Amino acid sequence: MKNELENKIMGKINDGKIRLKSKYVFWAEKLGLGTAFTLSIVLSILFFNLILFYLKETDNLKYLSFGKFGIFAFLESFPYLLVIVFIVLIVFSGYLITKSDASYKKPFGQLIIFMISFIVFFGVVLTYTGLSQKIENHSRNLREPIRMLLPLAEIHDRGVSGIIFEKYDNYLIIQTPQGLRRIEFENNNDLKEGSFVIAVGERKGFNFFASEIKVIERDDVPAIGREIDFKFRSFDRNDFNKRIPSNLLYFEDEEKKCMEDCFRSERSPRDCFDECIRP
Amino acid sequence: MEKLNDEQIVKAILDGDNDAYREIIRRYEEKLSHYLRKFINDKDDIEDVLQVVFIKTYKNLHGFDMSRKFSSWIYRISHNEAINHIKKYKNTRICLDDVEYKLIDDKVDIKREADRMFLKKEIEEVLNDLKLKYREPLVLFYLEDKSYEEISDILRIPKNTVGTLILRGKKLIKEKLEEIGKKYEE
Repeated sequence: MKNELENKIMGKINDGKIRLKSKYVFWAEKLGLGTAFTLSIVLSILFFNLILFYLKETDNLKYLSFGKFGIFAFLESFPYLLVIVFIVLIVFSGYLITKSDASYKKPFGQLIIFMISFIVFFGVVLTYTGLSQKIENHSRNLREPIRMLLPLAEIHDRGVSGIIFEKYDNYLIIQTPQGLRRIEFENNNDLKEGSFVIAVGERKGFNFFASEIKVIERDDVPAIGREIDFKFRSFDRNDFNKRIPSNLLYFEDEEKKCMEDCFRSERSPRDCFDECIRP
Repeated sequence: MEKLNDEQIVKAILDGDNDAYREIIRRYEEKLSHYLRKFINDKDDIEDVLQVVFIKTYKNLHGFDMSRKFSSWIYRISHNEAINHIKKYKNTRICLDDVEYKLIDDKVDIKREADRMFLKKEIEEVLNDLKLKYREPLVLFYLEDKSYEEISDILRIPKNTVGTLILRGKKLIKEKLEEIGKKYEE
């Protein structure tokens, strides 16, 4: 058996039936693995930074200040997609570590802890660079599936935040990242036009029925403020003769049509709201 | 060629001396066949797996890291092929040499005289019942004389884990053998 196997294999080698795989195949493999690992770590840092940015700069965490009524609004506006992509990247990085020699030379648990600490540290450092804000500005021009990663203008059923545009007896018109919206709220005596507010309640169609409203500072939710600025950039609130573009009117079709007709007759937004928005 | 170490032979092959691979086959044929017998029972199957191991080793020589031990690398390939074979045929019966079962008997440090008289069949049975994760490091450490470092490279598990698995495996064998011993006494 001994010489038989030896001769058999050497015969195949000498006949050229078995050949050495090119060294470039192994180089490419190593390079590919290294590149994929580096890329997944860089993306993990970026996504962790975006999660922090979202939690810090939007209304998501602020809903928790409403106690148990705010939990649904918090859960609804939580950046699930960012977190899922982040977890997938961490798992993928961990998988790539198992493919390297380091996975058994050092305890795997330690390597994972080191990797996550590295990602968290640089993710936090990135939040001070203003990169997230650049991504935020850039994301407005991106297509829908990618824009969903940073859902700043998404409509939620349990919570809303924005600037009071008009105040009426039992409802408010507020500027939000989705446009002008009507918030039904009876006890609004303390609220002033121009204040930044956050509300929890329930959305029914185009109307939001608030159970509680709080006045907040613009700096508490800077990303929402910027999103509103961007949405209303072509509209000057003080210029009452200027019509409000129809894409900024988040109202029922009938009300929206009435508002558009009202603007055509060159009346002020306040007059139009009085005429078109039914109590 | 006989004076060169494994790594030097690999370098010679990579430099174009294909015939140097004959020396690698000569050095490892018996060792690997011996190792594979701990996982595969059938002689023809062992020969087939061995052939695949040598072919894969040759083909992938450029992928061998020269800073490592060649023997660990070729054992790693054999280990992978043995596992593939086990998965394919669901047959993991161990086959011990006459000397090996006594070696196991000694290593597990059985104090009771009656337990020392186990038959080869019983030792084989106990090893067969042992989970593969314990059997692999035990076989490499006691029957293939590999160090923790080499076992770590072959099985791609941390050195500390190798030690833990060997200790636990030894304990499990001892318990099972003592159980069998008690039955004999009764």
